[in-house]
Amino acid sequence: MTGNYFKIGIRLLLRQKGYTLLNIIGLTLGIVVFIFILLYLENEIRYDKKWIDKDNTYRITSRFTSEEKHENIALTPFRLANDLKSNFPEVKEATNLFFTDPSDANDVATISWKERKFEVPDISLCDENFFNVFDYPFLEGHPDSALLNANSIVISSEVAAEIFQGQLALGQSLQTSLRNYTVTGVIDQSAHPSHLNFDALVSVNSLPDEQKTMLERDHFWMTCYTYIQLVDTTDVLDFSYRFNEFQRKGERIYLQDEKLDIEGNLSYHLEPVSQIHFNTALLYDSPTNVDLSNLIIFGIIAAFILLTASINYINLATARSIKRSREIGVRKVLGASRIQLVVQYITESFIITSISFLMALAAVEWLTPQYNKLLGKKLNLFDSLFSSDDPAFVVLLIVLVIGLSVFGGGFPAFMLNRYKPTQMLQGNTLSTEKKQLSTPGIRHLLVTVQYVVSIGMIMSTLIVYAQLSFLNNHELGFNKENVLVVNVPQDTVSRRLIPELIKKTELLETVMGVCATQNVPGFTAGKLLFQSDTNAAGSMQTINYFRVGPQFFSLLEIPLVSGSYFNELSGSDTSTNYILNEAAVDFLGLDSAIGTPFDQVGRSGGKIVGVVSNFNSSSLHRNVEPLVFILSEANPRYIMIKCEDGQRDQVQPDINSLWAEFGTKSGLHFISLEEKLESLYRGDTKLLGLFFYFSLFVVFISSLGLYGLSSFLIQQRTREIGIRRVLGGSQNQLILMLSKGYLRLVLFSGLITIPLVYYLMNHWLDGFAYQISLHAGFFVVAILIALLIAFTTVLIRSFKITKEQPAVSLKAQ
Amino acid sequence: MNLIDTIRLEKIFHGDAVQTIALRKINFSVKAGDFVAVMGPSGCGKTTLLNILGMIDNWTSGDYFLMGQNVGLLKEKQRTNLRKSNIGFVFQNFNLIEELTVFENIELPLQYLGWKQKPRHERVNELLEKMKLSHRKDRFPVQLSGGQQQRVAVARAVVANPPLILADEPTGNLDSMHGEEVMMLLDSLNKEGTTIIMVTHSQRDASYSRRIVHLFDGQIINENLNKLE
Repeated sequence: MTGNYFKIGIRLLLRQKGYTLLNIIGLTLGIVVFIFILLYLENEIRYDKKWIDKDNTYRITSRFTSEEKHENIALTPFRLANDLKSNFPEVKEATNLFFTDPSDANDVATISWKERKFEVPDISLCDENFFNVFDYPFLEGHPDSALLNANSIVISSEVAAEIFQGQLALGQSLQTSLRNYTVTGVIDQSAHPSHLNFDALVSVNSLPDEQKTMLERDHFWMTCYTYIQLVDTTDVLDFSYRFNEFQRKGERIYLQDEKLDIEGNLSYHLEPVSQIHFNTALLYDSPTNVDLSNLIIFGIIAAFILLTASINYINLATARSIKRSREIGVRKVLGASRIQLVVQYITESFIITSISFLMALAAVEWLTPQYNKLLGKKLNLFDSLFSSDDPAFVVLLIVLVIGLSVFGGGFPAFMLNRYKPTQMLQGNTLSTEKKQLSTPGIRHLLVTVQYVVSIGMIMSTLIVYAQLSFLNNHELGFNKENVLVVNVPQDTVSRRLIPELIKKTELLETVMGVCATQNVPGFTAGKLLFQSDTNAAGSMQTINYFRVGPQFFSLLEIPLVSGSYFNELSGSDTSTNYILNEAAVDFLGLDSAIGTPFDQVGRSGGKIVGVVSNFNSSSLHRNVEPLVFILSEANPRYIMIKCEDGQRDQVQPDINSLWAEFGTKSGLHFISLEEKLESLYRGDTKLLGLFFYFSLFVVFISSLGLYGLSSFLIQQRTREIGIRRVLGGSQNQLILMLSKGYLRLVLFSGLITIPLVYYLMNHWLDGFAYQISLHAGFFVVAILIALLIAFTTVLIRSFKITKEQPAVSLKAQ
Repeated sequence: MNLIDTIRLEKIFHGDAVQTIALRKINFSVKAGDFVAVMGPSGCGKTTLLNILGMIDNWTSGDYFLMGQNVGLLKEKQRTNLRKSNIGFVFQNFNLIEELTVFENIELPLQYLGWKQKPRHERVNELLEKMKLSHRKDRFPVQLSGGQQQRVAVARAVVANPPLILADEPTGNLDSMHGEEVMMLLDSLNKEGTTIIMVTHSQRDASYSRRIVHLFDGQIINENLNKLE
C-alpha cells in the first residue's frame, strides 16, 4: 500500500506541474532560509561548548563601583591568574590572555618570512598555561611546551597555510616589526568556535622583564582576560567570596605601599566559559559576542519563514481539495479509512517536502560562501550535518522533513475527512458544499500569518536601515572626512623614521595636516587612574584616556571650550599637561577646570590646560564618556593625515613613495577614518544584510503562495466572472472585486504587525545610545509595499481571466 | 430475510432558507439476488435513496436494515467496513481515479480490504479477462472510451465479490451501443447471484431489471415486477 501511495503521489504531482513547481519553489526557498538561520544559530550555540572541563572553567570579570556608578569589564590585572593558582588549592589551572582591541580591524601586524610579508590581524600574548585550559588541537608542536620560552609563537592553521603553504611551520622563524619569533605550534581553531579572538599567540615571556615585573605587581592595571579551572567539588559562591576577600587584602597592601587612595571598590566575578559568548554587557569584551535575545529573534524568524512556506503548501492543497474532492469521495466509497486518506495526503506532502529539502540543501551549499561573507563566519553545511559528536542538527532537519510532511499533508486531509462521501462526489457541482470544502476562513487565517511575517520583516528592515543611516549621518563632534589613518610599524628602525616621514608628509601639497597619535576616535585605549586635587578624600578615579599628538584636535576639528590646545603651549613641560572633554569635567565635578592640578596616579605636577567639546570617542552604541587626553608624541601607533578634498587617493601612493625612500622592510597600512569608524557597526550592518535578504525571501515566498492561491480560486470563479461581464461588469471592476479580499487581508495583517514590530525593534534600538524614534512612517510604508506587491500578484492572474471573452468564461465548469 | 429493508425512511435537506424533503417515509425492501430499477423524474430522490442504501449519506429519520443489521446503530467505521465488503458502486460519470491505471483502479477496493498482493493481482487479472480489458490494463482512464471506462467501473464494483451493486444511471454518459454492453454485464452479474439496485431514466435499461420502483416527490408511487424468472 505504501508503494501505492508514493506511485499515486508522484503521478499526481507530475500531472499538475504548475502546482507542483509553485509548491516546490516556495518550500525550497523557505527551507533554504531556515537552514541558513539554523546554521548560524547552531554555530553561535556551539561557542565555547567543547573545551575540556568546560563546566568547571570560568572567566573572571571585574566590577568597579564608585558612588552610584558601576562599570563591568571583561579585563583583570595580569597578576590575578598567578595569585589564584598560588593561593587557592581549588584552582586547578589559571591562565591569562592579553587584551588587544579586536574590533580595530586596522590593527594588523606584518609578519615577514623569507622576504615575504603577511598581514596577521590579531596577535595576542598569553602565558604557558593557556592550552591547558583551552585544548585546541595541535596540528604541529605540543601544547605543554609551545609557549614556555620567550619569542615562541603559536599560529592558527589559516595563518600557517597562508605563510607556509603546506610546508612544515614548526621551528620556522617569523619576524614582526618588534622581534623575531620561532613557530612552536600550529593549532586548529575550527574545532572550537570560541569568544577568543586571535590568529597567533605569543608567549608572555617575550615581554621585557621590566614590563613583566610591573604587570606582576599592579593590582589595578586591567590588561588581561583571566581564566580559571576549578576542581569539580568547588562551591563556586564560597570560592568567589573568599578570593575577593583575598584580593581586597592584597589591594590594600598595594595601595599603602604605593601611597594611593582610590575611590570606589573593585570586585571580581566568575562567569562560566560557556556563557561568555552571550554576554554583551561587559566593556573590552569580545566583539563577536552576541545578545541572546537577538538569537531568539532569529530563531523565531526562522520558524516563521518556515511556517510561511508551509502555509503555501497547505493553502494550495486545501484550495485544490475542491478539485480532488471527487477522487477522495470515490476512495471513501470504495472503503478507504480516514487513516488511509491521511497517509495518502501526507505521502504527497512528503514527496514535495523531500524534493524541496534536497534542492534546499544543494542551494544552501551553493550559497554558503556568500552567506559566510555576509556574516563574516566560516559556516559549513556538511560539517554541521555530519558532526559526529553532535547529531542535533541532522536530527532537527529529519524532524523538519517529517514535521512539514505531516503538517502540510495532515491539515488538508483533516479538512477533507470532515465531509461525507456524497458531499465530495458532488463537490464540483454544489456551490455551498464547494465553499465549505474550500475552507476560506482557515485559509484567510493562514494568509494573514504569512503577511504578518512578511510585513514584519519589511518594517524591521526599514527600521534597521534608518538607524544605520542615522548613525552614518550623526554629528560625531569631529570631522572624519578626508582623514587617512596609517598604522605605524612598531620596530625600532621604523619608529625612528616616523618623525622624518611626518615632516616630509607635511610638505605634500595634497596634505592639510598630519598628527602622530596613539589613539584614534572610535577605539578605546583603556582606563587609567587619575587624581584630581579638588577632591579631598578618595580623589582617584579611573577615566578613559587617549594619548594624542599636538595636532589631534585641529586635525579633527574638535572645538576648544576653554584653555588651550597642546600645540598652543610653549616652554613648559608638556608631558604634565592634560586636556579633558566636557564629560570628564562634569564627572570630576570641577567648576573651573583650567589650571586645576590633575595627574596620573603616581605622578605629580600636572594640571588641566584645556577643555574640549564632547565628541563620540567610541561607537554610538555608547554615550559620550569622560575622556582625558595625554600629550604623547613618542611611539605613536598611528599617523592621521588630513587630505585636501578629493586628494585622498593620491596621498596614499605619495606617502608610500616617501616611505620606500627610507628602505625599511616594514610596510604601512592605510585606511580612511570613515571606513575605520564604519567597522564599529559591522554587527549592525550584518543584521541589516540578513534582514534585507530574509525580507526578500519571505515576501517572495508569500507572493508565490498568494499567486498560486489566487490563481486557483480565481479559476474557480471563471463562470461567475463571465456572467458578471455579460451583465456589464468592466474589467477594472472585476479586477478590484477579485483583489479586494486579499488587499483587506494584507491591510489587516499590517495592522496587527505594528505592535509586535514596535516592541521588538524598540528593544533592538535600546542597544544604541543614539537612536531614531519609531514613527508611523515606517509602518505605513511597509504596509503600502506589501499592499502593492499583493495587488500586483493578484493582478497578474485576474487580468488574464477578466480579459477572456464572456462566452469562453461561461463554458467553464 | 431481505437483503435490504427501509422503514419510514426520511431525508430532509436543510438549506440556508429552505428545507427540501428528498425522501418521504419510504418503506422499501430488496431480496437477495433481485435486480431493482428505481425510476422517476429528476429531483424525485432516486440518487438520495441510493446514497443512503450505500451508506455514503445519512438519513433524517426512519430505519435502514442491511443484511439484518440496523445501519442506524453502526458507527462510521463499522459502516465503512460493511460497505467495503458488501457493496459495489457504479456511477453515471464512472468516478474512476484519473491518476490510477485500469488495473490499479480495479485493484483499489481489494487494497482497502487488505488483500495480499498475489491473490489480489490474480483476481484483478481474472476480472480483466472476463471484462475483455486485459489489453487496456495499463492505460489511464482518459485513454479509454466511455464504454470502456464504465466497464472498468463495473469491474471495480464487483472485484471484491460484493452481494450488492448500486448503480446510479450506469449508462447515462454512454452511447446506446456501449450502454447495451454495460447493461448486459450487469444482467449477467445478476444472473450469477449479485443483487443490483439501479437508478435510471431509461426504460430500456429498466427492462433488464426484475422489478421497477417509481419514485415521485420522494415517495414510492408505484412498484411492479418487470420480467418473469
